[in-house]
Amino acid sequence: MSAADPVPTLRDSVIGADLLVTCGPGGVGKTTTAAALGVAAARSGRRVVVVTVDPARRLADALGLEEGAAANDPHLVKGVTKRASDGALWALMLDAETTFDRLVHEQAASERQSEAILTNPVYRAISGSLAGAQEYMAIERLHQLYTSGEWDLVIVDTPPSRHAIDLLEAPDRLIRFLSHPVYRALTVGQRAFARVTNAAAGAFLWAVRRLAGPQIVEDTIEFFRSLSDIEPGLRRRAKEVSALLHSEAATFVVVCSPRAEAIGEAEHLVEALDERGYPFGGVVVNLIHPLPEPLTAADAAALADLGAGPLADHVEWHDELTELATAEREELEALREMAGDVPFVELPLLDVDIHDVAGLAGLAERLLGRVER
Amino acid sequence: MDTAGADWLTSTRVAIVAGKGGVGSSTVAAASALAAAQDGADVLFIAVDGRPGMGPLLGGDELGDRDRLLQKTDGGGRVRGRTIPAEQAFSDYLELKGVGGLLRRAATAASLPMIAAATPGLEHLLVLGMIKQLEKERTADLIVVDAPPAGHAAPFLRSASGLSDVVRSGPVLEQADEVSEMLTDPARSQVMLVTLPEETPVNEVVELAADIGEIGISLMPLVVNACWADRPGLAKTPAMAARSHKTKLTSAAKDALESAAGFGRLRLARQEHQLERLRAELDLPIIQLPRLTTTQIGPDDLPTLAAALVGGDE
Repeated sequence: MSAADPVPTLRDSVIGADLLVTCGPGGVGKTTTAAALGVAAARSGRRVVVVTVDPARRLADALGLEEGAAANDPHLVKGVTKRASDGALWALMLDAETTFDRLVHEQAASERQSEAILTNPVYRAISGSLAGAQEYMAIERLHQLYTSGEWDLVIVDTPPSRHAIDLLEAPDRLIRFLSHPVYRALTVGQRAFARVTNAAAGAFLWAVRRLAGPQIVEDTIEFFRSLSDIEPGLRRRAKEVSALLHSEAATFVVVCSPRAEAIGEAEHLVEALDERGYPFGGVVVNLIHPLPEPLTAADAAALADLGAGPLADHVEWHDELTELATAEREELEALREMAGDVPFVELPLLDVDIHDVAGLAGLAERLLGRVER
Repeated sequence: MDTAGADWLTSTRVAIVAGKGGVGSSTVAAASALAAAQDGADVLFIAVDGRPGMGPLLGGDELGDRDRLLQKTDGGGRVRGRTIPAEQAFSDYLELKGVGGLLRRAATAASLPMIAAATPGLEHLLVLGMIKQLEKERTADLIVVDAPPAGHAAPFLRSASGLSDVVRSGPVLEQADEVSEMLTDPARSQVMLVTLPEETPVNEVVELAADIGEIGISLMPLVVNACWADRPGLAKTPAMAARSHKTKLTSAAKDALESAAGFGRLRLARQEHQLERLRAELDLPIIQLPRLTTTQIGPDDLPTLAAALVGGDE
């Protein structure tokens, strides 16, 4: 593509954005795409960090990520660039619990306050599973890395989600949770049962006690109380994150496959990005079957009604592959129209799974054209 | 295990179908429901997260939170379908525990999200609790459960055992125990794992199988979705293949066929390699479902998949 070409490409995002978020349904190569964009940016001379969520094992190996909490801190990915001055790629694996703990530490006024929260059994049980916690933590980690100033580009791969939009709403959901009347009623005053006069909160406590016994009621109230100490900080952070995601520094790349269901989710996501005013940087469609060259009408007629045998295998395979590849291309039309001017990249089903840096570099070239090394 | 015929499918009362996102586990769940009904069973299909399109796929209207008939099959079988929204499971549960209407409304409206936040796995447990209730009442010969997708299948199934770490008394613990009892009794429930013949889905299903084994739930045969039919003739070039048929190809035809065959050889070799890995790593019979040449599987495609499910071993 020439420099004068006015059509925006993914290269613009990779070179120009400070934050890049990949989102889309599960099983479409989202994490691999995020990592490949990271390689491309590093080879363009930028210092890049990729935040992954639950990467496939071989991809994690390629990025030098091992199991365990240590992976929650950035690791330098070796073999991406030749000299340090060329730019470099770091990677880390999101650990929602560790990120949540760090958030509590940062927001608490004192060591004692944060200890009270961190040792609460209810907190321990929910820090990994609180409504949207993983999505929120992906965003939170992005904010931590972005504000550290150590990187030119932060790439965040989002958790696979049927409702990928959950991710974008995670900060708002946390604010809503903190504004919930039941939560407010529970966190006012010192003694739980004496002061809880709000009907809904009373019903809540009553229901929890009926269902799960008195101990968890005490623990729950204690947890919500201690959380209220750090609430102003959480609220402020949620607002900052939301503003950051809406700013020009950010860009969202939607990743999907040519299956009807995945495309439906991608369309939904594109609409939601637009409605909510998030910067939309491109669509990547992975796993597309190649379209074989067509048989001429005369050849097709001559090859119809073959008896069983190797040539029949060839003809049937050619027909099946053509049918599927054609259906996929038709299915993609509406999404392409929706994408409008933003880059729309279609990638064929690869021959092998990507499990090393060379594979990621190859994918990066396909994603945005050749990258200077 | 002999996978010819529907016995392997109907030998339990609840079949929970699970797989990572994108492998087609919902479609396989629907095909299983149809296969059992075609065998004469009265089947209830439950879409846990109410994903749209499942009712029409089974020949009826969109699913709601009450049973509705989706289709009758020859031989007296039928498929009914429903969803189980977490809110409904919660409110039904309160009703079962004798909670009055006004308070119940207050409790459900205000606090399910909060209670769920405070009691991880509670939503899952309540949904499983309702399934257990339907199973106990013998609502159907077979209940097919389309389990939550993506990374949620294991937490869903683990909710009963996991909750007992946080909850030490009360009806939730009783509920958890009763659900565990159902899940660990193979005559009452089993899990059908679904995957694709690709590297990452194979890795993931092996991990999922280990997770589920740890919980003590029995596994049905493994379903490998979207397998291309074997085409041994592709090993030959189109020209060589034509010779076996005592015919000649135009050079355009050779090129066109070879443009598909190159991809096909790689694809089929890779598929066979992944099937071999599954055979080596999991001690489960394998059922291959055909790859259909469409991007969206519809009601007309479902009988093909249902037939393949009960058509016998690979």
